[in-house]
Amino acid sequence: MIRAPRLCVFLTALLANSAAAQTAGPEAARATHLLQRATWGARPADVDAVLAMGRTAWLDRQLEPRKIDDPAAEARLKSFPSLQRGMAEMVAEFQRLQRERRLAAQVASDTVVHDRRDARPARDSAAVRAARRANAALAPQLLLLDLASARITRAVETERQLEDVMTDFWYNHFNVYFGKGIDRFLVADYEANAIRPHVFGRFRDMLGATAKHPAMLFYLDNATSVAEGAIAAGRQRGLNENYARELLELHTLGVDGGYTQQDIVNVARALTGWSFTRPGGRAGDGLAFTFRRAMHDAEEKVVLGHRLKAGRGMEDGEEVLDLLARHPATARHIARKLVERFVTDQPDPAFVDELADVFIRTDGDLRAVTRALFTSERFYADAAMRAKVKTPFELVVSALRVTGAETGRSRGLVQTLRMLGQLPYNAAEPAGYPSASDDWVNSGAMVNRMNFALALAAGRLDGVRIDARGIFGGSAASDPKTRIRLLLAQLMPGVETGTLEATILREISQPSSSADQPTRDRDARRQAAVRALGLALGSPAFQKK
Amino acid sequence: MDRRCFVKSGVFALLALGRPPGFLTRSLLAQTTAAARKKTLICIFQRGAVDGLNMVIPFGDAAYYANRRATAIRAPSRAAENTAIDLDGFFGLHPSLSALHDLYGRNELAIVHAVGSPHPTRSHFEAQDFMETATPGMKSTRDGWLNRVLADTAHDCQCSGRRLEDGAAHAADHASGQVAMGGAAALRGIAMGSEMPRSMRGRAPTLAIADLDSFGVGGRDATMQDAFTRTYGSEAGTIIGSAADGAFEALQILKHADLARYRPAAGVNYPTTPFGRSLRQVAQLIKSGVGVEIAFVDIGGWDTHQAQGGVEGQLARRFDELARGIRALYDDLGDRMDDVVLMTMSEFGRTVHENGTGGTDHGHGTCMMVMGGPVRGGKVYGDWPGLQPEQLYERRDLDVTTDFRDLFAEVVRTHLGATSMDRIFPGYAIDPARARGVLRG
Repeated sequence: MIRAPRLCVFLTALLANSAAAQTAGPEAARATHLLQRATWGARPADVDAVLAMGRTAWLDRQLEPRKIDDPAAEARLKSFPSLQRGMAEMVAEFQRLQRERRLAAQVASDTVVHDRRDARPARDSAAVRAARRANAALAPQLLLLDLASARITRAVETERQLEDVMTDFWYNHFNVYFGKGIDRFLVADYEANAIRPHVFGRFRDMLGATAKHPAMLFYLDNATSVAEGAIAAGRQRGLNENYARELLELHTLGVDGGYTQQDIVNVARALTGWSFTRPGGRAGDGLAFTFRRAMHDAEEKVVLGHRLKAGRGMEDGEEVLDLLARHPATARHIARKLVERFVTDQPDPAFVDELADVFIRTDGDLRAVTRALFTSERFYADAAMRAKVKTPFELVVSALRVTGAETGRSRGLVQTLRMLGQLPYNAAEPAGYPSASDDWVNSGAMVNRMNFALALAAGRLDGVRIDARGIFGGSAASDPKTRIRLLLAQLMPGVETGTLEATILREISQPSSSADQPTRDRDARRQAAVRALGLALGSPAFQKK
Repeated sequence: MDRRCFVKSGVFALLALGRPPGFLTRSLLAQTTAAARKKTLICIFQRGAVDGLNMVIPFGDAAYYANRRATAIRAPSRAAENTAIDLDGFFGLHPSLSALHDLYGRNELAIVHAVGSPHPTRSHFEAQDFMETATPGMKSTRDGWLNRVLADTAHDCQCSGRRLEDGAAHAADHASGQVAMGGAAALRGIAMGSEMPRSMRGRAPTLAIADLDSFGVGGRDATMQDAFTRTYGSEAGTIIGSAADGAFEALQILKHADLARYRPAAGVNYPTTPFGRSLRQVAQLIKSGVGVEIAFVDIGGWDTHQAQGGVEGQLARRFDELARGIRALYDDLGDRMDDVVLMTMSEFGRTVHENGTGGTDHGHGTCMMVMGGPVRGGKVYGDWPGLQPEQLYERRDLDVTTDFRDLFAEVVRTHLGATSMDRIFPGYAIDPARARGVLRG
């Protein structure tokens, strides 16, 4: 038993050596490039796997995620309570608590008015305090901590890497912001049901699923958009163009897609009545899409030159979505975004056309489009290799993957991503997070990136377990130079890191200040491991993909 | 001489020598502080939509009292305490803002009332976005208005032997704010907090600082920062290389500015809250002369839907912290306030009518404060739209008679010398004739 760790270390070193040997050559470079873009970070073992089965076979397997067993990720995700609760349940509980709190506050404020002699405002009643405590379980910070941690954990752990990366792309494309009202209870369901099942399906299906999901209906106000003159319950209203505008500008045609303000208005009119039921409402329904005929504008309207006849209902909206999903501008817009995100910051127009053609030819079959993206020769163009800077989310997840760190609920990671500006579900703008390198690189961000690397390496992020010495361990016998080379091969397979190697070697040979010799040795070894790992993860090379 | 180049070579010389000789440190500082622009703008964002009608109370408008009960602040009166503090016979300061009252008397505090966005949204996130990008209704704007100001004001190039037209790359450096005169480019725009606010995001370098005391790479272990500096040395010219370079430069300057020497001026007490601490660190940076031109500070807690309170209570406590914090900063900066303008802002106001839970809901127009030496204070600016039902925006809210962009434009044009109004406020024609004249031109 005593020998076992040594053996492990020895085997690890052997494996690392073999990986280092294999990750040379043009095919290895292509495999690494594919992994850096189609997964959340390439590890030597991943490169070996792709080399063993071939890039196309690897891709085809990833394109059928249901056929990939994913027990580790599924087990880990069970530990996040917020994921286990239905959105209707959470909203219902929230509304009940709100009602109770409002009643209690009413009582409290009446008390203040009556008790004029007391200059101080009345303290919160027991009822208010109780409601507040119950509310805390549904408090935004705790929910977001859970959801974002789960999002990171899945990205790190799942075997269905491509599905997860594409889920991120499409969620961001059809972004819904956690911070708008009840959307904090809805975003997890939205991702699980409106986005993830469709990432290799038809674009039209995903478009329809997002259009009908309460999260989107609430986020972009379509739920309360009603025909001019329709009498809606309570106060308000009239037409709200919010969703219609983003549907055209962001989700489908693109800002230069050739539509007019009148088109926006008419799309909004076509979608009037697309709403959702609240739990505990009169009908006793759950939280689900509903079409409210009385709120629908049934007059004739023209969208992009296409006539929608008078006297119809929900089919108006369906027809608009059909029209938009098949529009060539949509194909180009999606193709452009894919190339910008997965290939280069300045998309090659020929590549965009190539993908747009596949989109049109297959009627928006996203499996075919994704396959075309990652199999095109243009994807492997010299100008594309290591040409993108990782976004903060990519940086964090790839660092966790290559170091084999174990993550769970982590305030440290959530705070890191918040500081770096890319916390999952937290993009307020309908456009989601940008994907070009220069959107994520500025002086403050670089300080934060380096500090993240140091904090991770030193094990200072709560909720993350990392073994810096194990990663940097190598065999005790091997010299520091070899160990650094192995470390860099592990973290950045296939990357030329000669200069970095020399820098790290210089930096880890700092004496320790501890008192006695054994402590000094132990400290020095740990210090060296932490410094080497921190410098490597914070290095310019690790920022690129 | 090319001071930027001096600073850079200075920084690397320090690193190469390991320990900075005193004379070099002093001359480095002298160069940067002398070159630093003297003018500073401090923006305070009241997130959550402040009730402008209770911040500066229109006690002369009878409709105010018709709409407010539990939250009403009584008109000033010699006989009674806890009333609004009279400003001009019509408007009064909330009593919890009393710390700012004598600034008004000294003509250094101006109020702009009924200011806000022309966009009707009552969503916090939309309205904050619109205010911070300064493009109401345009969601595609990615960068913040203050970042565009930094980019615009960075082009007074004094690089030796080079002029703006001397090369595209050089000009582009300036246009994007990568190169500034004096100090580190990234120190020109500072946001206090862990997140970079949208107002400050964009291509011009800016720094978000959660806590000045611990700001840096690698915490106490200074060797890590040097190690990273060397690691990034091979990246010169790339996008991450230049950004890292800017960061190291900023950190180096902060280190040698000897921030630890700072003590607040005698008798100045900042509130012991995150907001108070942020303001204290803003003063620390400004007094250290590291070249801060725009500082941004957030203060939350204004979304008073329930139990807002009146003379005392929830909102009064927020006002108290706000006013004591600003006043401490003001007194701490002392004479330096001659070159500083401080402006408050909030995404929208709140309903004129009080709701059923002793609070106010999301409204439209609000008020903003502008203060500092360059301010033509002692006056409440703006056309008062009135609070009678037919005078209200959508029959419920204070209307907007000053577009916030006109106020912002006046401040950055007059105080910071910004010129490209069309680039800072895209899609909106800034007409100097609409400026309220809040600053002495």
